Amino acid sequence: MNTARQAIIAIDDPIVQVKDLSLFYGQSQALFNLNFDIPRKQVTALIGPSGCGKSTFIRCINRMNDLIDGLHTTGSIALDGQDIFDRSVDVIDLRRRVGMVFQKSNPFPKSIYENVIFGMRIGGVNEKPVLDETVEKSLRRAALWDEVKDRLHQSAMGLSGGQMQRLCIARAIAVSPEIVLMDEPCSALDPKSTAHIEELIRDLNGEYTIIIVTHNMQQASRISDYTAFLYEGELIEYGLTKKVFTVPVKRATEDYITGRFG
Amino acid sequence: MDPRLLRRNKQLDTLARHVITVGGVAVIFSVIAILFLIFKVTIPLFKPASVKPLYTFSHQDQPENILALGLDDYQENIFTINRQGQLHFQSLPVGSHDSLIDLGSGVGSSVKDLAVVGPDRFSLLWADDTVSLVKIDFLPQFDSQGKRTIVPSADIVEVLPAPALASPVVSSRCRQDSEGRLIRVNHHADNSFSIFQRTSSEDLFGEETVSELSSAINPYFEQISAFAVSSDGRILFAGTMGGTLLRWDIGEDIVLTDTVPAFKEPITAMTMVFGSQSLAIGTDSGTLSTWMGVRDSAVSETKKLRKIHKLKTHDSAVTTIFASQRDKSLISLDRQGILHLDHMTSERHLLNMPGSHLLAALSGRGSGLVTLDNLGTLQVNTLLNPHPEVSLKTLFGQVWYENYDSPDYVWQSSAGSDDFEAKFSITPLLFGTIKGTFYAMIFALPLATFGAVYVSQFAPPHLQRIIKPLVEVMASVPSVVIGFLIALVLAPLIEAQIVPLLLSFLFLPGGFLIFIACWQFAQRFTLIRELRHGYEFILVLPVLVLSAYLCYLFGPLVEKLLFGGNFSQFLFQNTGTRYDQRNCIIIAFGLGFTVIPIIFSIAEDSLSNVPPNLTAASMALGASRWQTVWRVILPSASPGIFAGAMIGLGRAVGETMIVLMATGNTPIMDLSIFNGMRTLSANIAVEIPEAPVDSTLYRVLFLCAVLLFIMTFMVNTGAELVRERLRKKYARY
Amino acid sequence: MKKIIRNKYWQEGEPFVWGSAAALTLILILTFSLLFVIFRNGIAVYWPSSLVSFEMNDGSLHLGEIVQDADQSGLHRYQVKIANRDLYGLDFKWLDNTDIKNMSFPVEAVLLERQEYGNFHGFLTTLNLPTLNIEEDSLWLRFKSALEALGPDIAKIDETQSELNALNYRLEAVDAQIADRLSQGGAVAPDLTVLHDKKVALHQQFEELVARLQDLESTLQQNNAVFIDASGQEKVIALTAIVRAYQPNSMSVLGKTGLYISKVWELFFSEPRESNTEGGLFPAIFGTIMLIFIMSIFSFPLGVLAGIYLREYAKAGFLVRLVRIAVNNLAGIPSIVYGIFGLAFFVYGIGSSIDQVFFSQHLPAPTFGTGGILWASLTLGLLTVPVVIVSTEEALGAIPSGLRESSFALGSTKFQTLTRILLPMASPGIMTGFILAMARAAGEVAPLMITGVVKLAPSLPLDGNFPFFHLDRKFMHLGFHIYDIGFQSPNVEAAKPMVFVTTLLLLAIVIAMTSSAIVLRNKMKKKFAVTH
Repeated sequence: MNTARQAIIAIDDPIVQVKDLSLFYGQSQALFNLNFDIPRKQVTALIGPSGCGKSTFIRCINRMNDLIDGLHTTGSIALDGQDIFDRSVDVIDLRRRVGMVFQKSNPFPKSIYENVIFGMRIGGVNEKPVLDETVEKSLRRAALWDEVKDRLHQSAMGLSGGQMQRLCIARAIAVSPEIVLMDEPCSALDPKSTAHIEELIRDLNGEYTIIIVTHNMQQASRISDYTAFLYEGELIEYGLTKKVFTVPVKRATEDYITGRFG
Repeated sequence: MDPRLLRRNKQLDTLARHVITVGGVAVIFSVIAILFLIFKVTIPLFKPASVKPLYTFSHQDQPENILALGLDDYQENIFTINRQGQLHFQSLPVGSHDSLIDLGSGVGSSVKDLAVVGPDRFSLLWADDTVSLVKIDFLPQFDSQGKRTIVPSADIVEVLPAPALASPVVSSRCRQDSEGRLIRVNHHADNSFSIFQRTSSEDLFGEETVSELSSAINPYFEQISAFAVSSDGRILFAGTMGGTLLRWDIGEDIVLTDTVPAFKEPITAMTMVFGSQSLAIGTDSGTLSTWMGVRDSAVSETKKLRKIHKLKTHDSAVTTIFASQRDKSLISLDRQGILHLDHMTSERHLLNMPGSHLLAALSGRGSGLVTLDNLGTLQVNTLLNPHPEVSLKTLFGQVWYENYDSPDYVWQSSAGSDDFEAKFSITPLLFGTIKGTFYAMIFALPLATFGAVYVSQFAPPHLQRIIKPLVEVMASVPSVVIGFLIALVLAPLIEAQIVPLLLSFLFLPGGFLIFIACWQFAQRFTLIRELRHGYEFILVLPVLVLSAYLCYLFGPLVEKLLFGGNFSQFLFQNTGTRYDQRNCIIIAFGLGFTVIPIIFSIAEDSLSNVPPNLTAASMALGASRWQTVWRVILPSASPGIFAGAMIGLGRAVGETMIVLMATGNTPIMDLSIFNGMRTLSANIAVEIPEAPVDSTLYRVLFLCAVLLFIMTFMVNTGAELVRERLRKKYARY
Repeated sequence: MKKIIRNKYWQEGEPFVWGSAAALTLILILTFSLLFVIFRNGIAVYWPSSLVSFEMNDGSLHLGEIVQDADQSGLHRYQVKIANRDLYGLDFKWLDNTDIKNMSFPVEAVLLERQEYGNFHGFLTTLNLPTLNIEEDSLWLRFKSALEALGPDIAKIDETQSELNALNYRLEAVDAQIADRLSQGGAVAPDLTVLHDKKVALHQQFEELVARLQDLESTLQQNNAVFIDASGQEKVIALTAIVRAYQPNSMSVLGKTGLYISKVWELFFSEPRESNTEGGLFPAIFGTIMLIFIMSIFSFPLGVLAGIYLREYAKAGFLVRLVRIAVNNLAGIPSIVYGIFGLAFFVYGIGSSIDQVFFSQHLPAPTFGTGGILWASLTLGLLTVPVVIVSTEEALGAIPSGLRESSFALGSTKFQTLTRILLPMASPGIMTGFILAMARAAGEVAPLMITGVVKLAPSLPLDGNFPFFHLDRKFMHLGFHIYDIGFQSPNVEAAKPMVFVTTLLLLAIVIAMTSSAIVLRNKMKKKFAVTH
């Protein structure tokens, strides 16, 4: 009890509050009783070895897991105090508030312009000035504007891997979500593009709440304010990144970040 | 986000989900379900007959007093003939109309014997030994409102005087054939027969001349217990108490043509089956069988009586057999009064009516059945017996049809005459289907598989990009085009060049082998070796063309030397097979052409999908390109190639137009490659325009479709399962 | 050393590589010879060939086109189309080389294409043109101008003929209405007299037109030309009976090209003659296209709908797997099975019910209870639905699931994802499958033969008479045309050119469709190729 309190700290202004969250695939349990708060407009990193439940967890936050058959959860995740599993919460609305960037960049086979405003269009926004403005703003925020401004109406398929991933980030932030979930956004990218994206995430810090899953320890320590360490579906340690990486409370955390396993 | 828009989007989504789900399920369900409807059409073929009682009432006459009865096809009128010679029409339900006709006015007072001699035709033997031939008809009439009424009528066709023989007549049959010739056969108390014939003919001036002929048969040493006369009145059959079966020709001269010790028990009932080719015989112990004259050898002209069909045995002696006047169905009654309905050819026992029936009759078209039991109760039934002639045995087994020398598989759906019996053996069609498919696969499978191996493994990649679409174009060539070409262009060509073609089976591989043997020396020149990689198929072209040309050149010579100058004549004289212009060679080309692209594409796909690291690993171990293909790639791709072959097979089985156009469509069972055949699919196309809805032919054709469906379904499902497993197997690479 | 090489050569299996190469070569030879035979024969049909005059050793003369020459056991023979069926009874004759004394190409030899009895080969001798006043330098030019001058009149006859057909249709409609009234209310229906009057008026109009037509025809028929055949036998031919006349031996290449084009034009846009062995293919082309069109209306949306359901909405499981196998399977069921099903279900099932409910006044003559273009289309539609389902499913399945996820993550509904992302991406694949299915359907004949195709349909399923679409009508079809004139016509040899032309046309349509599907698919492959 004592150690647990030390391993998980309290957050002053949480945007996401996870309470007793457990998740089951059919019979097998993937997440065990997670309890922690995620701070507003900060970058929170989730680290842990492959298969520890990081991705599964963040996919709970925008309920992407709804698409999977035979999966169910217990406990709650509160977004601004409201439980997202509540029946009254509309999943479409939720997903517009919680954007997501995936491990593998997946722009639509449309033009760059149409990719960025996809969220706007399905939300019913069709006024050209508004769209133009959003495109420019989002692409600038995603640090892609200068590279693509001359070919906005060309296919997004012609971009490089790193550019595609930044386009996906631009697409995610174009609908002004409160939270952006990033599921190992750099794992398929070369070091240069990775650096680019990390810089972008640091830029976005303070404007959006970013929850990023990564298995790259250096990356987590470079870009995040808070870090949560998950191991075999359990939250082992959670706290300020600096603290977790320098003075981990738990032995497992220390072993993991020093590379003894994983 | 605008909540109204959100709600609308959600509503749209829900609506779409419902529409797509309902629509999708409906489409899939109906596509699958309606194909099962073809099964439904065939089901009535195998249903037994059923009777639906319409009216049951007691007749005013004593049951023993009634000699004959009958009804019309709409079950609206019945009639009875009693011992007093009274014909009694009653319309149904009983009471509305009633008429009594005295058939015996002026002749004998009471009826000694009555025989059914045709559709609603009776010969009545009176006490004074005169005989009346009576005809009863039911004619439909329409009033101004278009309402139909059935008007019964009776007609005494002829009254023949008593025979001159002294011994009284016990039983008599009188018949009139289609030319108006009358014949009367009497069985006398002394066991002799007398025969009276009257032929009237008109000469050129319209004057009628009548010639009469009386003759007699001396008493046979065994007591005659039953006899029957063929419908043309030229053959007399008789059965004895000792179980002997006798046959006389009773035309101009009277000749005993056959004596068969058929049974070891008395023959108790005998009647001609519809068509007058077969004789139905019942015996004392209750056996029921049909007999027919069969030529004892292919050359002899005389026909010996033989037992052909054995029908369901009764528990006690058969007393009466009534033949249907529409098909080869028989109603038989035994001593206990149990009624059986059997069909001769199919040997199906269609109906078993317990009870103590004395008499029974079918309506003209067989839609009604009337029975009389020993309490005098008449029962009128609707008889549902649409397809008595079909059984699994007639469809798939050998059946001994009338006019055939032995049991055989025969498909013959129609002929000119009315009493023709349709023969629905599916076996020759199945045989034809399998034969055509077999030859096609022999031709197509090696070509397509090895062609695919070459394209996927040895040919340069840019060639693959040309050949694959080419093969797809080949696949899209309509079968009617192929059928036309092979039937009207290729078939005459092959007929003219059959010997060169046969030679080519020798020359093409031979020329190829010689070329291969030579090539290994040419291979030593680096230049040539570099040239050939991936282009062997072009280098091989001149070799094949040259070999083919040699065949063409030497063909006439070989024909002269080996086949006496004319191959088809040689073939016929030495093997007895005829050379049909539209034969299996043609079919092999035609079906092969449709099947090759299918097998090729699927085989090519599965060969190309073998992970390249397998090839690399094999090559790295020093295997040659063929060894790699043979030991590594082919085993891995073999399920795919198998699946391709199966799907190709399914296609060949169901192909219609090619076989319709390029075979003679003769349903024969002959393995020869120089003959044609008829396949299930072509059979459907040929026969269905002539098949009336819901007729037996119609349903049998649906059965052909069902068989095709099952065959292709099994083959395709097998292929699909194999492919699915293959896909899973390589999904991990 | 040599031995080692040989062993290695065989051991490494090089001969087998050559063997497989030979297999490919045979396939290619087969394919190209098929295409070659069709193209060579189909294209050459309309190219006017020279008329050869044969002087035989026995003194007889023949004038004809050489169709083929063959060597038979050392004997060289010519098959000659001598035409003049009305004079000789036979169109074709085999002539032995040894019997021929002399062969020449007479410049004045005329080839006539006629409305009846096939072609005529001979020489023009006299012209009788009582109703025309034409002056030209030569007999032949006068004849040609006369033919040209008759053009408008012949067009007028055709026009009157189609007017008659329309009138006839209206008459039949009125008759049907009268029968309808009679069957409903007996003789007391109020508008019965009106209808009767209408009928009488129509009838009168009809009679007048017929009289006018006969008048016109008899006037025109007075113009005739006298020809003699090779042996000098005279034949008088009315100018209206002549479709086309030319002197092939004196024609320039340009003239022949013009003739070729005019014949191709006739092929596409005019009616067949001579029990389909001559003339155009318009009704068959029209029937084929309309058949495919109606089929598409049914099978495309339904197939796509079912495909979407199976891939995107149905819960994956055993049942879906079973359905998938079944649907895959249905694509391989023989077309004749679909045909016989179409007969039982559409024609005898639905068709007869429609007749009983809506067309009872026509019974026992069936309206929809017999084969027709609607039922044939539906049968073909049923045949293609599984193909469309499979290709839709495969096209949807080929889309990476990441795209679905990112679309959902942006807050789109399933339907939005479907319409905005999945369907646009899958459409080339769906279209490819669908075009291939259409190409297959265009070449199918067996199911049509039992659901409503005929050798000669009196009227098109689409015309100017209300209600314009006559889905109950029987129709003509290119594929069936091939079967019919190639196998059912009394004079197969004379029909062969037409069969080749029809075959070429059908093949061209099918190959064009297939090729466009292949091009579409290649484009799509390129589009997706950039993704990774």
